[in-house]
Amino acid sequence: MTRAMSRVMACPALRDPGSWLQVAACLFLGAALLFPTLPHRRATYSLLAVVDITGSMNVRDYTLDGRPASRLEEAKAALLRMMSDLPCGSRLGLALFTERRDFLLLEPVEICENFSALEDAIRHIDWRMGWEGESHISEGLARGVTLAHSVGSDLLFFSDGQEEPPLPWTGQPASLKRDPRVRGLILGMGGTQPVPIPKFDDNGREIGFWADSDMPTENYAAPPPPGAAQREGYNPRNAPFGASRHTGMENLSSVQTAYLEQLAAGVGLDYRELDSPGQLAGWVERVAHVVRLAARANIAWIFGMLALICMTARMAWAIGSTRK
Amino acid sequence: MTSLGFDYPWVLLLLGLCVMPLLGLGPRWWPSPSLIGIPRDRVSEGAEIGLRLLAALSMALLVLALGGLHRRDGIVTRTGKGAHVVLLIDRSVSMDQTFDDREPTAKQESKTAAAVRLIQKFFAGRPHDQFAVVAFSTSPILALPLTEHRAAVAAALGAMKRPALGKTDIGRGLGLALAQFGTDTTQAQNVVLFVSDGAGVIDREVKDKIRADALRTHVHLYYLYLRTKGDPGLFEKMDTADASAPASLNQYFSELGVPYRAFEAEDPSAVARAVEQIDRLEVHPIRYHEHVPRRDYAPLLYALALGCGVLVALALLAERGLAEGRP
Repeated sequence: MTRAMSRVMACPALRDPGSWLQVAACLFLGAALLFPTLPHRRATYSLLAVVDITGSMNVRDYTLDGRPASRLEEAKAALLRMMSDLPCGSRLGLALFTERRDFLLLEPVEICENFSALEDAIRHIDWRMGWEGESHISEGLARGVTLAHSVGSDLLFFSDGQEEPPLPWTGQPASLKRDPRVRGLILGMGGTQPVPIPKFDDNGREIGFWADSDMPTENYAAPPPPGAAQREGYNPRNAPFGASRHTGMENLSSVQTAYLEQLAAGVGLDYRELDSPGQLAGWVERVAHVVRLAARANIAWIFGMLALICMTARMAWAIGSTRK
Repeated sequence: MTSLGFDYPWVLLLLGLCVMPLLGLGPRWWPSPSLIGIPRDRVSEGAEIGLRLLAALSMALLVLALGGLHRRDGIVTRTGKGAHVVLLIDRSVSMDQTFDDREPTAKQESKTAAAVRLIQKFFAGRPHDQFAVVAFSTSPILALPLTEHRAAVAAALGAMKRPALGKTDIGRGLGLALAQFGTDTTQAQNVVLFVSDGAGVIDREVKDKIRADALRTHVHLYYLYLRTKGDPGLFEKMDTADASAPASLNQYFSELGVPYRAFEAEDPSAVARAVEQIDRLEVHPIRYHEHVPRRDYAPLLYALALGCGVLVALALLAERGLAEGRP
């Protein structure tokens, strides 16, 4: 046995570094062919974006590319930017919110394969698609959570938090339920300065702004607030809210931070205020469920590199040894 | 159309290494004091040059593989049979009832469920069509503009099975559907498949707009009327003029000046027959795009480099000798 070993060790080719470097290069090339990839798991996300398309979302208190932009345009820009920022394999679905309902436009689909279709659908989202003017955000949100769960996604809810008609003085009527299976974000849209809401005619032409007198300023579905008895013309049966119209600021709109935070806490979502479209993907990566997709990582290049190093070393050694 | 590309073009700088095997072909150190005594051997000289070229070639192939040589993915335009189809789907609350105007049960599906299921089948059988999905109730809602992305169309149709909302405004729905077509009708035939369980009055102004748009886009219009038990029929002769009856809508459509067909379906099987008929009618040449996937040449290059490398290794082993005692 030892004699055989010594015979092999005595083999001149093995004492020649050039030979075994070339053999090693061949082995590495074989490895590159046999084991080109390693399985690994990639992080992706599945999201349902519910976009509030009620009137106050037409307020232009954002700036996009140096031009004034509405809250709706900002929300759309944020979604488009998010699609380019999130990893391929992630899925995005779209729904609209007005009144009390969320209308599903698209079930979640993969974002890279369907990029242009999703982009086109997002660009065409418009306030004109709204089927009713009211905006009961807490109900839309609660339904949004259920909808997101039914399509196996986390929720992104874009809204400025402006209830229409205004919330009753008694506060939030609907009870919100947490669903631990749905994570996500409420995205507060709009600036903190109250600004007038644009008004449109039947044909969709902008015709100025809503006036205070156009808007219900109190919620008449709830009991009258305490102190209503002191109002002018109060009558417990005929005029429980007083005879004169309560003046409010419902024609002006700003982001309702406190209310949206309260809603977010109610359904167990995170709340963020959107200032620029680029922020969204980073927030999603921090908050949303990670969906692990099987993928394969290329490792052939490592073997290829080692083979190239061996070949180069052999040539360098050969050149060096000829110049002794 | 398709072309070659590199993922990491800078790696190609390593091609400079390929000259290494070709260096030192000139005078070299030799263990014998003089070469004069050794006869010239042309076969050996040829083999030497051949082996050096092989070594250079294997290194070059390896560098190309490391640079990520591939055939780029691309789009090829082909001509097939198909059309640009806008699916205009009524999403008013009544669509969620059965054909007998009852709550849907396990046995009896709602009009929405039946219509969407059969449209999904229609969609599945037409691989080269482009589809758009427009829903309408109180307001028209564009779920998906015309697209070739089949997964997106499937997702939009899936979404149409969700609970419906509101009332019906046919005019605006049709307006939005017709707005999906470009003015270029040479690319494909434009088709609107309008599915509804009711009719309604269309505003005069909107009527004129629809007529103009229909003529401009040379659209083929199909009205699939899902007739609920007890509702008036599509082809009924009216004793009194009722502008909101399906028959008046049928009348208006037939006078639009574009090819128009109406189907009345009182149960899912009638819907299936109507959809099959439309499928047969709408066979036109269409230019569509096919995705040619990227192809990586790395495995091929590694294999070729290995082939060259093994030849060089065998030659080296043979030259140095595997056993003691040979020169």
